[in-house]
Amino acid sequence: MDNEPVIAVRSLQKSYGKVEAVKGIDFQVGSGEVFGLLGPNGAGKTSTIEILEGLRPRTGGDASVLGFDPDRQKERLKDRIGVCLQATNLPAKIRVQEALELFGSFYSRSLGAEQLLKRLQLWEKRAAYYETLSGGQKQRLALALALVNDPQLLFLDEPTTGLDPQIRLEIHGLIEEMKAEKRTVVLTTHYIEEAERLCDRVAIIDEGKIVAMGTPRELQQRSQNRSRIEILCSKPLSADALPQWPDALETQLGEDGRALTVYSSHPARTLVEMVKWLDQGGVELVDVHLKRPTLEDVFVELTGKKLRD
Amino acid sequence: MKTYLAVITMDIKLALRLRAVIFFNYLFPLIFFFTFATVLKGDSGAMTFVVTMSVTLGVLGSGFFGAGIRAIQERELGILRRYKVTPITPTPLLVGSMVTGWIIFIPYIVLLLLMAHYIYAMPLPQHFFELLAFISLGLIAFRALGLVIASVANTMQEGTILVQLFYFPMLLLSGATFPSEKFPRVMQILHNFIPATYLVQGMKNMMLRGQGMAEKENLLAVVVMLLTILGGGLISMKLFRWEKEEKIRGSAKLWVLAVLAPFFVMGIWNWWRS
Repeated sequence: MDNEPVIAVRSLQKSYGKVEAVKGIDFQVGSGEVFGLLGPNGAGKTSTIEILEGLRPRTGGDASVLGFDPDRQKERLKDRIGVCLQATNLPAKIRVQEALELFGSFYSRSLGAEQLLKRLQLWEKRAAYYETLSGGQKQRLALALALVNDPQLLFLDEPTTGLDPQIRLEIHGLIEEMKAEKRTVVLTTHYIEEAERLCDRVAIIDEGKIVAMGTPRELQQRSQNRSRIEILCSKPLSADALPQWPDALETQLGEDGRALTVYSSHPARTLVEMVKWLDQGGVELVDVHLKRPTLEDVFVELTGKKLRD
Repeated sequence: MKTYLAVITMDIKLALRLRAVIFFNYLFPLIFFFTFATVLKGDSGAMTFVVTMSVTLGVLGSGFFGAGIRAIQERELGILRRYKVTPITPTPLLVGSMVTGWIIFIPYIVLLLLMAHYIYAMPLPQHFFELLAFISLGLIAFRALGLVIASVANTMQEGTILVQLFYFPMLLLSGATFPSEKFPRVMQILHNFIPATYLVQGMKNMMLRGQGMAEKENLLAVVVMLLTILGGGLISMKLFRWEKEEKIRGSAKLWVLAVLAPFFVMGIWNWWRS
């Protein structure tokens, strides 16, 4: 990451009438970083990103994007960034290649349509009307349009929402390519696996405030270290006989007495002791799973909500 | 300039790919033309009326539906939102809409006049190119009016109501579909306040009386239409909205009246004279 941040936001606020959508948030994004804004619908992610894209004026605070003020230098900023919107459309009868050529003409510099079409696997569809494209092809075209001016900074607002898992994986691959090209990407999502897989850093946003920020790993480690150990035993155990294993925070035994779940702050140590105890009792292990806390767990702990609420 | 060219080229391609555009710009007025022309064949005065009616139908359709309703549709469908994230401003989109309408419409006018002349023996206007220029001004003025309606309508439903409120009175009271000389007194008064009246009257003057655009009464119509283009263009730019979520205040709808002000003044003037 370079010293000079690509995006710097300080005390950013946005209100719609009496509704405060963004309540004074601060963050910075460095060059080449993939930065995720993670939160449920209505958390303030889209308002934040649209202020930074120059689409909406802020109500308060400061924002600088590529050295431009998004409120006062909209056109110069828009010439330098790429944007993939959450909900957008193109004329039904525009052909794929025509769309790229048309939008390319709006910028001071643009990449060739052929190059982008091949890269986004749309070359075969170049003469197809927009209305005939599948959801995945439309989203790939949206990404191609976001890249048409060869931007160093991209805003991707929920780029995989509503797409099937296969298409989502394809889009993830494309975002990883952008990351490999050292482009800075700001990504909003409510898919945990997307943030964990793609983002260098994540800000968890809820009710217009950033409630936590860091690398996905850092955030997971903040989750009260509640790893989950799941064991399936060869024969039923008695709940009364279960000991207090080291670092175990909570123990649950399934109805059949064979499924044992233990939450632990140091799962490796707890697991070793559990295996020893079961072995001494002549119980065989049928299955063992160790689950680290996910960003979803972090989010639930911090906000008391689920991400897709 | 490359943005303007790209927008206009794309607008033309898109318009020609839409069946509705072809129907309302060409087929619908041509059906009227052939139906009436077949009945009134041989009467050159009546043929002028038929041509004027067909042109007015096309101009109003192009202005209100081709420019106005289409602009609302593009906003409602989220198409303008995609433009909003680029450095483009509303100006190329609005200019593109006006120029595209003109490029698509002018061949139809030429075709209509030539058919009226060669098939139905209507004399060609003495100032053929001035007539084309006059109709062009009318077309662009009504497209500007259509774009202002699109700017002040918050929803497609609102836009449709506004368009119908303008379209039918203009069609019925301008003298394009019924001879205005036979209107009762009240309709005669209203006739003076209808913007399309000046387009219809100017075309009749140029086709029946051999007048050019420089004649006093036509010149006034030219000035009024130029003012509409200018006013409509500026107001459309001022009130332009990229997204359907951006609503406009009810009071801003009064801007439509500002665009109609030149016609109102003309109406008062003609009423006072009569």
